[in-house]
Amino acid sequence: MNLESFWVVSWVNSIGFLSGLPEWCYAAISLLCIFFFVLIPSLVFIVFFDRKLSADLQARVGPNRAGPAGVLQPIADLLKLLQKDTRSPWGWIESLWISIHSMVLYSSLAVIPLGSLALLLDTEMSAFLPFWSALVLALGTILLGLSQGTVAGWFGGIRVAAQALSGAFPALISLLCTGVRAGGFRWTVLAGSQGFAPWSWTVASNPFQAIAFLVFVMSGLVLLGIAPLEGGQSMSDIHGGVATHLSGRRLVLFRFGRFYGFFCWSVISVVLFLGAWNLPLQFRELLVRAELYPLIGFFELVCLLMKTFCLMMVIVWIARVNPRSRVDQITDFTWKVLSPFSLSALVGAGIWAGWRAFL
Amino acid sequence: MTIVLKKMNSIDESVENNLTQWEIGPYHSSLPAPIKLSLLMDGEVVSHCSLETGFLHRGLEKVFELHSWRSSIAYVDHLDPEAAVFGELALCLGVEEIAGLAVPSRAQHIRIILAELTRVSSHLIYMVRMARVVGSETIIHYLLRDRERILDLFELLAGARFSLNFLRFGGVCADVTEGFIERVLEVCEVIRIRLKEYNDLFTFNHGFLKRTAFVAPLTSSLIRECGVTGPNARASGFSFDVRKDSPYTGYDQVDFDVPLGRGEGGSLGDVHDRFLIRLREISQSMEILKQLSETVPSGEYINSEVEKGYAIPSGEAYVRVESSRGLLGCHVVSDGSSQPARIQFRTPTVAHLMVIPKLVTGIRIEDLPVLLASLDLGIAEADR
Amino acid sequence: MRSKESLLSALLSYIRDVCMGAWSITESCLTAFPYVFRWGDLRKEVTEGYPDPVSSKTADDLPPRSRGLLFNDIDRCTGCKECQTICPSACIHIEEEPGADISKIWVSIFDIDFSQCIFCGLCVEVCQPASLVHTRQYEGAAYHLTDLVASFGRGQVTEEQRAKWAALRQAIESSEVSST
Repeated sequence: MNLESFWVVSWVNSIGFLSGLPEWCYAAISLLCIFFFVLIPSLVFIVFFDRKLSADLQARVGPNRAGPAGVLQPIADLLKLLQKDTRSPWGWIESLWISIHSMVLYSSLAVIPLGSLALLLDTEMSAFLPFWSALVLALGTILLGLSQGTVAGWFGGIRVAAQALSGAFPALISLLCTGVRAGGFRWTVLAGSQGFAPWSWTVASNPFQAIAFLVFVMSGLVLLGIAPLEGGQSMSDIHGGVATHLSGRRLVLFRFGRFYGFFCWSVISVVLFLGAWNLPLQFRELLVRAELYPLIGFFELVCLLMKTFCLMMVIVWIARVNPRSRVDQITDFTWKVLSPFSLSALVGAGIWAGWRAFL
Repeated sequence: MTIVLKKMNSIDESVENNLTQWEIGPYHSSLPAPIKLSLLMDGEVVSHCSLETGFLHRGLEKVFELHSWRSSIAYVDHLDPEAAVFGELALCLGVEEIAGLAVPSRAQHIRIILAELTRVSSHLIYMVRMARVVGSETIIHYLLRDRERILDLFELLAGARFSLNFLRFGGVCADVTEGFIERVLEVCEVIRIRLKEYNDLFTFNHGFLKRTAFVAPLTSSLIRECGVTGPNARASGFSFDVRKDSPYTGYDQVDFDVPLGRGEGGSLGDVHDRFLIRLREISQSMEILKQLSETVPSGEYINSEVEKGYAIPSGEAYVRVESSRGLLGCHVVSDGSSQPARIQFRTPTVAHLMVIPKLVTGIRIEDLPVLLASLDLGIAEADR
Repeated sequence: MRSKESLLSALLSYIRDVCMGAWSITESCLTAFPYVFRWGDLRKEVTEGYPDPVSSKTADDLPPRSRGLLFNDIDRCTGCKECQTICPSACIHIEEEPGADISKIWVSIFDIDFSQCIFCGLCVEVCQPASLVHTRQYEGAAYHLTDLVASFGRGQVTEEQRAKWAALRQAIESSEVSST
């Protein structure tokens, strides 16, 4: 961990009595900063725009009472849910679910590629780490479903398991495609192989990468169970499935976990395929010349988040308009459509990269 | 997958057979109405289903006998609140047959306009339920918005939006309000444009087709066995429509087709066919409405004899009307007193409920709400 | 074993299926897209704020035949009890007694229980003096069930008044008898 160059260090050290803390303290402080200054605002922002976009598509007005144009609605919802009482005391499986949930949330925060400002950890295998998080998150959701002791919960849990298994394979293969182009799985390597302009993005470099991008996004939706490909949370037959018995604070936690998965996957998709956090070259040089290094990080983060929000809004748009799929159709889709397409994309991308190397 | 099962009384027995027991209902989000299903499932596939109904029983038919003839129209609205006019129409036709009352042609026109508007609004609600169970949110709002226009028309004509209480023995309660006919034509035009939008958005959407095609086709033997009528039977190619076969209240003067299922999405009579047939019926109703609105004759809106006195002679009659769900029969018995001796209904939903246990066997649990919604269950009229 | 042709056709139908799916999803998305920008008259938002004096409908916007809460003009009411007889849900409760004049009936209690009323409009239809009418008021929410009972009666008569009126009636009767 190269903490020396990390902004938190100088920031904390500037507060006199805190200087000289052990390394893990810096790490913890920076994780908390990412959590409270990036993740929570993104959640509020996305929830608000999700509701507004849905309302606009459906010829409605959407939230308009809490604050100007209803911008405070997510916060109002959150406060309402937090003050609700829980239905029953914690069971041990639910406690297990909570611990897995928190484990995933806080551990994978360190590897989310949120621009050079917030990139705490970068290893040779960085791009694979979020898979671990997604799969463990799925495990937590399965446990949550099974812990309810109802038929709906069982079905929900088993559906989540089936989806997570089927979604992981094409996602991994399509991740390999982008690694083939960039020549590594470090976030910085993946980002460095792209530029700010859309034609320098991985997705536009060749048709196979475009296929890989689509496969990656869709298999992520399957893996994490996000609308319109959520079988485990189907509202019509198992009335919410794994989340049937949740209310109040537990529902907040569950929804936050789902949002976190969705957000992470979109960030990773953007980093892998949509130009990462790259700023325009001249602009960056201007900032470097002015020695405004924290500002570079800030603008990179803004650039990345803007792209992420756009991607998420497109997914929300598709989810609101199209019917939900059945769980066997979802797994069919991943095994029979996404997997062959991702494999052919990998072969194509490999040949393309090899051909470019010979030139 | 059909397993012949003896009735299982204990959970242990189903565990021995590796089956899951699941009781759904009477109030559950996957049910369109209060019914109770006891399912035995092999994995996610339903292998046995038994049905329990009667949760919405209000003793409606007994209530008729306790009130005057005139109040009975206000009650018959509650036979099926989603499509109130058909019950009123059946009762009025029955009483008119007993009393030998002639209905002026203007009143007949107004009745058909009301009935067809109700049919459209009922079918729109049906589509809302279908969209809800497959999880398509956007079209729900579009459909409800367009249904709202029809409810506004009802309010303009009768003053109420659901329980119209507008038909009277020998005619209708009041003449059409100013601008009503023009607004009917306007609504027809708007809904005709919307139908294309629904098709683009939903009907032929790949995801919707995947959810509905080949699911639970209704065979013609099952239709005969259980007495299924209406759009559900017509979706399986079973041509039976009271409006055509034995026209009442002036349907013989109207030129319209009875759409039949063709099995475009998957097999004949599957869920998608049942959905499509309703869409086609909406456009046929639009045709009828347009024809009638352009030729509303002038004259009385109620038989002038009715205004003088109110004596229904003794006698009995059985009449049939085509409601939005199927064949609605009404058996009226009068003993010459001021109160009905017996009013009994034959409602289409009873037949549709009987079909459920046979159709459910062998389908996936995720298709269960889709199947239930596709049958258009008006549980209020079945339990009554 | 599949023959070569059937494999090809299976592949083609597979690709067609995928393309059709992609196209229909796109088409659905594009159909709903104009709503975001409210293009055209048919794509306006339909939500009406409530209670919102600017955009929402008021009682004046209701159609003329709209069946709102009932109102009885007790000065015109003859106390014939037609409405009580016809009411399908038995929500009208009337008590009356002879008034000071023989031709006048004192309607002491005229209660309409809106918690039971189904707003069928039959009572208004049968009201001969047209004293019972539907108003345009539709906001009938209340905190207690008893608040939903609307009273239009003139109130209970005291014993003294009853005696006084009886005397008055007798006086009129006797004067009539004497005049004839």
